[in-house]
Amino acid sequence: MQAFLDQLWIARWPLWDGLLLTAGIAAAAIAFGTLLGGIVGVQLAYAPWWLRLPFRLYVDIMRGTPVLVLILAAFYIPAVAGLSLGPTEAGTLALTLFAGAHIGELLRGSLQAIPPGQAEAGRSIGLTFPQLLAYVLLPQAARSALPPWINTGVELIKGSSLLSIIGVGELLLRTQEVIGRTFMTIQFYIFAGIVYLVINIALDQLGKSLERRVGQH
Amino acid sequence: MEYSLHFGAVWASFDRLLSGLAIGLALAVVAVAIGTVLGLLAAFAAVSPYRPLRSLAGLYVALIRNLPLLVLVLLAYFALPQIGIALDKYQSFAGALALYSGAYLTEVFRAGLLSVPKGVIEAARSIGLTRLQTNVSVVAPIMLRNALPSLGNTFIGMFKDSSIAAAIAVPELTFEARKINVDTFRVIETWTVASGLYIAACVVIAALLRGLERRFPKF
Amino acid sequence: MNKPQPLLAIRGLTKQFGAVEVLKGVDLDLNQGDVVSIIGSSGSGKTTLLRCVNLLEEYQGGDIVLDGETIGYRSANGRRHRLGDRELSRQRAMTGMVFQSFNLFPHLSAAGNVMLGLRKVLKLPKAEARAIAEKWLARVGLAARADHYPSQLSGGQQQRVAIARALAMNPKLVLLDEVTSALDPELVQEVLNTVKGIAEDGATLLIVTHEMRFARDVSSRVVFMEQGRIHEEGPAAEIFGNPKSARLAEFLRNTRH
Repeated sequence: MQAFLDQLWIARWPLWDGLLLTAGIAAAAIAFGTLLGGIVGVQLAYAPWWLRLPFRLYVDIMRGTPVLVLILAAFYIPAVAGLSLGPTEAGTLALTLFAGAHIGELLRGSLQAIPPGQAEAGRSIGLTFPQLLAYVLLPQAARSALPPWINTGVELIKGSSLLSIIGVGELLLRTQEVIGRTFMTIQFYIFAGIVYLVINIALDQLGKSLERRVGQH
Repeated sequence: MEYSLHFGAVWASFDRLLSGLAIGLALAVVAVAIGTVLGLLAAFAAVSPYRPLRSLAGLYVALIRNLPLLVLVLLAYFALPQIGIALDKYQSFAGALALYSGAYLTEVFRAGLLSVPKGVIEAARSIGLTRLQTNVSVVAPIMLRNALPSLGNTFIGMFKDSSIAAAIAVPELTFEARKINVDTFRVIETWTVASGLYIAACVVIAALLRGLERRFPKF
Repeated sequence: MNKPQPLLAIRGLTKQFGAVEVLKGVDLDLNQGDVVSIIGSSGSGKTTLLRCVNLLEEYQGGDIVLDGETIGYRSANGRRHRLGDRELSRQRAMTGMVFQSFNLFPHLSAAGNVMLGLRKVLKLPKAEARAIAEKWLARVGLAARADHYPSQLSGGQQQRVAIARALAMNPKLVLLDEVTSALDPELVQEVLNTVKGIAEDGATLLIVTHEMRFARDVSSRVVFMEQGRIHEEGPAAEIFGNPKSARLAEFLRNTRH
């Protein structure tokens, strides 16, 4: 145990950097993914079929493909298309596209679950469609989409570990590097596991308290 | 940079992609089969009147669902030998995925258990079935039917997650695709075909499941 | 001469749900072949009484003696202990219960519903269980529906399967809990006729019902419950024709429009 703690102390800064990168990647993916998902969800719920089609295709492709395949595709494809994208950017892009599809789909579900009387009431007092969306529909949908949205955050933290496969120096890759030097395999993998566990459970609890706060109406 | 599509090089290796797909499916089948047993046990524990059992089931679900699958896989493959448990890469991946799917299935089955009407359970108790007999002959069949759609979705999820076996060099679809990508530099073609295969497999599995759901009447 | 021992003897039964006293000391005897109906307003405790006899509810005081055996609890050192699962199951099998909401097993056919207890509790071989199930389904007029699933049967048919399921176990006593309350009006009569038929076969029945005309026709004795107690009991003709207490008279006025 003492030997492990010594090694942990030596490796504290690389591991800390890895943790920050993990959090940063997940935060960026959830932020951009939510923007993207907001647009996708509204289109899926309300657009005419010819406009809905490309969004439906996007969502189904993202949801039918493993995240790791998305990450590898985002890592290899930009280069042949003449774009230069580092592994971190490529991985974040893949996670963002994945999150956008998931959030879009769950927002569509929430929007369609709102009783039609709400939209009719909004229209009857003279709201335009964007106003209706902003003041009546999205606030209600956001409330019921909150728990699965938080869960998407947990999935992104977990999914970011896959970026270690394309050489992004996030928490898991940094852990593997430390293991390569110390050969303390079990100890450092369990340590990394505990770190993921703590972040995700904290996220989960945050979600629950948010839910309680907005749930009262 | 000029890039024109040539699928020929990918088609030449299509059999490798197909055998990779079969390995992924096999891993998912084995993992979900074991995970179903784990999930059933944990779900019954989660609704049992005994607090320690409930806590144990809750701990299992919270622990596994909040860990990245890749960490579990690396622990099983690289760390277990350190304490004298040496599994090959197939065993360690299937084991990790079984443990992982079991946690998700616990939630699926728990919701299924809560969907069994109380009166039906009382009717079984009333004709003299013991608690165990009631669970086996009445609760489990009803719960499994009600849980079938979620069970199917979990299976599809686990099949997609079988791609992570590529990280420990199991020659499944993603691993083969990456190799073809590196060998041929037909980047766009490779990932289009690989992704298409995953999507096609998911569509087929989903259709089979819908058929299965129709075959058994909904209660 | 010895008085014959009653088949069911309920002695001083009390039950609380938290702070609410639902049964406040109920005494009731049933002899072999008796058909006893319990009437009373909702909340009077009649369904709870039935559920206690089937050991689906725990109760805090009193004894239930079925065919000479005190069921549900044992006393040791002056303290009551609920019996274990296996004992409770054995004792529950001695009484049959038919529920208001049928509670058929949705994953089993009509015959499968009747056979489950025969196979698992009485451990009968499959062919014998099937034969008994078919006999009882024929008795309730559903021979042709043996292989139908509950979702393919009407409410009245489901309830008749439930009656067959209870009777096939050859119980000493059958408990019927508002068996027509969940049925559409046009389906009530077929179920009541079935119950009347098994009463005429000599089964011992304890019935909770809102159907006053039926209670009058079928019962050898009627019990009026009020606020967790038996308020009045007697032969059907007397209870309905000549109620002694003002409370019963009022209840009958309000139910007979």
